[in-house]
Amino acid sequence: MTSLLSPAEWSALWLSATVALWASAVLVVPGIALGWLLARCQFPGKLLVDALVHLPLVLTPVVVGYLLLLLVGRNGWLSPVLGDLGLRLAFSYPGAVLAAAVVALPLVVRSVRTAIELVDPGLEEAAAVLGAGPLRRFWKITLPLALPGIVAGLVLGYARSLGEFGATITLAGNIAGQTRTLPIAIYTAIQVPGGETEALRLTGLSILLSLIALATSEWLLRRLRDRVRHERGGR
Amino acid sequence: MIEVSCRVRRGDFLLELDTRLAHRATGIFGRSGAGKTSLLHALAGLIPVDALRLVIDGEAVVDTRTGLDSPPHRRRLGMVFQDHRLFPHLSIDANLRFGMAQQGPGPGIDEVVELLDIGNLLKRRPDQCSGGEGQRVAMGRALLSAPRMLLLDEPLASLDRGLKRQILPYLRRIRDHYDLPILMISHDLAELLALTDELLLLDRGAIAGQGPLPQLATDSDTLELLHDCGLVFALPGRVARRDPDGLAWIRPDGASERELACGDCPAEPGDRVEMVLRPEDLVLARPPVETPLSLTNRLPGRVVSVTRSSARCLVTLDCGLSAPVLAEVTERAVRDLSLTPSQPVVALCKAQAMQVRRIGTSTESSTDRRNR
Repeated sequence: MTSLLSPAEWSALWLSATVALWASAVLVVPGIALGWLLARCQFPGKLLVDALVHLPLVLTPVVVGYLLLLLVGRNGWLSPVLGDLGLRLAFSYPGAVLAAAVVALPLVVRSVRTAIELVDPGLEEAAAVLGAGPLRRFWKITLPLALPGIVAGLVLGYARSLGEFGATITLAGNIAGQTRTLPIAIYTAIQVPGGETEALRLTGLSILLSLIALATSEWLLRRLRDRVRHERGGR
Repeated sequence: MIEVSCRVRRGDFLLELDTRLAHRATGIFGRSGAGKTSLLHALAGLIPVDALRLVIDGEAVVDTRTGLDSPPHRRRLGMVFQDHRLFPHLSIDANLRFGMAQQGPGPGIDEVVELLDIGNLLKRRPDQCSGGEGQRVAMGRALLSAPRMLLLDEPLASLDRGLKRQILPYLRRIRDHYDLPILMISHDLAELLALTDELLLLDRGAIAGQGPLPQLATDSDTLELLHDCGLVFALPGRVARRDPDGLAWIRPDGASERELACGDCPAEPGDRVEMVLRPEDLVLARPPVETPLSLTNRLPGRVVSVTRSSARCLVTLDCGLSAPVLAEVTERAVRDLSLTPSQPVVALCKAQAMQVRRIGTSTESSTDRRNR
């Protein structure tokens, strides 16, 4: 495989795949928590939380990237905290992960929320009467029943992260081997005279990666559905 | 002794009641929208309440006045819902065990599985069970959570008539086997009569009447409401024989000689049954009844009382059986037959008008149920 691809292409492919994977992994807990909160809880300020979660979906990614830069950049509002933690986010690999995660967040939360809303609250009630507290109800009933939808949401977030460009280049920059993911590599290739062939090769790689992700998610979902056997009819 | 008092407000609807239930099994009856389900859900803690008090045998489960307002999972009440609400991703076995061990000692799983005949289902998933099987599993699951009281919210409503006949005996077994207070909702009076000793009649969020059916039926205030909801009464008995015509002959409890014919009887000779009759299906006559009639069943007795509501007259008869016989007639008939207390009459009923329900097999009595 290495002989087929140039080191730069290989690096872009690897970066894209791992940045997206990290972004999805980072989103698991907040994605499920926010989705559950929006699906099952009534609280003051819910509309605001909902709007904030959806902001990255309607804002252009460059703005998201710039806002993140203001927040976590070298002189950003959160830089003292991040400095203490020894975390440098601007123009770095973790920054690319953060940008991809923030942009993918609304898609993950939406899927999780829908998946949890589709779990019959009557089952949670039945579990409660049987003596299960809120935590046990969530772990034993809500989460397993919503799992296919949650996984689908995370896969969607992964796919969105693969294609992330604007926020990444704004926050993490275009550093070969660190933040130059496939979309950014394609952009860079187009900027160079005679880079069309390179751009085309990278485009092919992008398509391939996305297809693999899609096939994996389909396989995963099918296995989960078999396991969970949603019983939606007849009730 | 169960003490229940609750106040629930939902929009314009107000459910407010305060009562004591002396019997172990109480049926909650009333029109739809009377507040039956709200009451049960309030007791279980599934809906917000203004005030709620539930005391079981002196032990307070909930009392909002004293600040005892435990969440549903700490109330230790067993509930069976109209739809069985089995967890679709868990096996029947895992469903049954879901509430176990959370809440102290209770009946053993083997015992409950045997009592409800669900041993062959344990490895299945809920979607591989029929409606009746699912409801039995739901009952078992509730029992295994070691509840202090059983709340049954129309447990048979989603089943067709044949299945109801099959499930009712299991509910009776639960009632007889465990010393567990039962509160059951139904819109089908016959179901409640088969399982409960006392009725709580709800109307527009308040108690309209409380007591055994014969008592409620002789009160002109509750009679009309009972009638709207489909008034029936039940006569327990035992199947004596079947004749070549296909009729089953049933000996009602209390009558040594008399047998009643039934056209559609699902039980076999020796089985304990309950004959369910609608008062409007009965015809009253002054004895002697000589003329040839197609009416097969004749029960001689005496008038106990005549209850009048705006639209009907209900005559309560003592026919020497373990339960009174109710007949609905017109005001004119009361006049023409001069139906007054202690007046001898004959109650006539078609063999086809009787619905018979099996409540136990010939080999089964309340003492040997444990060994089944």
